[in-house]
Amino acid sequence: MTPTVRLDRLLGREVYTANNRRFGRLEEFRAERHGADWVITEYVIGAAGLAERLGLGVRLILGIDRGGGYAARWDQLDLGNPDRLRLSCPVAELRRQ
Amino acid sequence: MRKIFNLTLGIVTSIGGFVEAGSISTAAQAGSEFGFRLLWAIAAATIFLAALAEMGGRIAAVGKRSMVAAVRERFGFHFQVVPLGAELITDVLLLTAELGGAAISVKMLTGIGFQWWIAPIGLVVWLVLWLGNFTVIENGVGFLGLVTLSFAVAAWRLQPAVAPVARGFIPTVPHHELTRYAFLSVSIVGATVSPYLLNFYASGAIEEKWTEQDLWINRATAFLGMGFGSMVAMACLITAAVVLGPRHVTVESYEQAAQMFVPVFGRWAVTLFALSLGVGCFGAAVEITLNAGYLLGQAFGWRWGVDKKRRDVSRFVTAFSIVLLLSVSIAAIGFDPLKITLISVALTVVIMPLIVLPFLVLMNEKAYVREHTSGPVGNGLLAALTILGAIMALVVIPLEIFGG
Amino acid sequence: MDVVRDVLDKAVVDRNGREMGRVDGIVVAVRDGAPPRLDAILIGPVALGERLHPGVGRLVGAVERRLGLDPDRPVRVEFRDIETVERKVRVRLTVGETAAEAVEQRLRGWVGRLPGSR
Repeated sequence: MTPTVRLDRLLGREVYTANNRRFGRLEEFRAERHGADWVITEYVIGAAGLAERLGLGVRLILGIDRGGGYAARWDQLDLGNPDRLRLSCPVAELRRQ
Repeated sequence: MRKIFNLTLGIVTSIGGFVEAGSISTAAQAGSEFGFRLLWAIAAATIFLAALAEMGGRIAAVGKRSMVAAVRERFGFHFQVVPLGAELITDVLLLTAELGGAAISVKMLTGIGFQWWIAPIGLVVWLVLWLGNFTVIENGVGFLGLVTLSFAVAAWRLQPAVAPVARGFIPTVPHHELTRYAFLSVSIVGATVSPYLLNFYASGAIEEKWTEQDLWINRATAFLGMGFGSMVAMACLITAAVVLGPRHVTVESYEQAAQMFVPVFGRWAVTLFALSLGVGCFGAAVEITLNAGYLLGQAFGWRWGVDKKRRDVSRFVTAFSIVLLLSVSIAAIGFDPLKITLISVALTVVIMPLIVLPFLVLMNEKAYVREHTSGPVGNGLLAALTILGAIMALVVIPLEIFGG
Repeated sequence: MDVVRDVLDKAVVDRNGREMGRVDGIVVAVRDGAPPRLDAILIGPVALGERLHPGVGRLVGAVERRLGLDPDRPVRVEFRDIETVERKVRVRLTVGETAAEAVEQRLRGWVGRLPGSR
């Protein structure tokens, strides 16, 4: 059985860099159809900071959600340990969005 | 033509459930203690309420979702737990206040202690929701609510001088009793802008299957309907100001408030006041209970609605029945209904930002209102006022409790 | 498709447009050397409770078991069975083919017996 993970429980989790520094929070998952399946192609990670601590909902209300985030390709984030999500590439390789 | 008829009906029936325990008690106290000087609070609160209701109606007609559903879908369940929980707690308290107010009015008519009437009134509320459909409930509550026009009649017959009344619409700061004045203005806002009214109005728009074509009806119903209702609340304030003010009566019970009808209605004073209070509270109790079902059904994705077979919406029925039972139990303990009313309206203002702010974000999202977005200026103003109100409430309520 | 924006927390309806609940959870299959696959959506209070805290999910699950509800909960709908994702998520099944209405049916036993039940 392929290991499964709950996407809704990954939402809002901290993402760490390869050298264990806090990077941001997982905010969105972009998916595309590949044949009969939907696969995740990108993760949207919001920048870490004070605003992060307010929680996604509050940030939306205060309108500080626009930009300042990163998009990681599916192979740039390691889901192996859901309690400690780690980037599997250097930060510089991430796409800014 | 049918739409004009329905619109008129909607405006007239908006009275039912608008003037209830909160509006009557705050208007009576405001009038007896500060004369006409808090009329502006009722007017401002009503405009605020109408603007929010219209937005909720817009999301319902264009986005086909109620407020609660829209908040869950846009912000997620994790976020929603907080405003939803806060609203449910406030609604239980408010429902308790309405049941108490209705019970007091029956006591005024019969002389039998109000605690005995809580359960029977609760049962009648339940039966209305068990047996009625949306049209019957809305119009029934609305037409019965017309008895509250007694306040309008009283205010008219008392013929207050126009100038002082007009001045009451301009916000002024009194020379004394500042805390009490601030507390009452906050309470008036809380009594008028009840969160349950917003989701209830939007849910009604969905039950009536409004579409983008009905947006003008939505605007008219929201502003004219609430406006009509607010005139009754203002009439209550004016009557209290003219009759109770000069006698320096502090309204500490509904029975005392009833005295405001004596000069105009003589020996019918208590009966008419009791009927107005009772019917207003009963209508509000029906709406709050129904809205509790809407809140839970919409948040969790159940089938809901009073236009469906009851056995088809069993979770919805069970949910509102439990909420009603909870409020009946609390009310039957015998707390002073007037005190519970004042606590609920104060609490309402404190939680208001939680409910209004997410909602304002939705008004700019195409997914929910398509091209009928609200301007950022209007939204910004509403957001600022909501936060201001909450801050004021947090400051003023403790001052009042520990000073009064 | 943005999964959180477009799928999570949305209302779910069956083939005939009948309400099934909301997307309370989403299961993702993690694959070696391939992008993660969206596996299924979950519907039900257990899944919703788990979102708040695993303990809450367990508690709700225990309550459901105590009440003798259908063990096929939370309801799991494979992503392949999702027809469209627009305002609502429409699935290819009918609600009767799932345990989505277990609580509703249990309560119907009581609500349906009250006099005047239409």
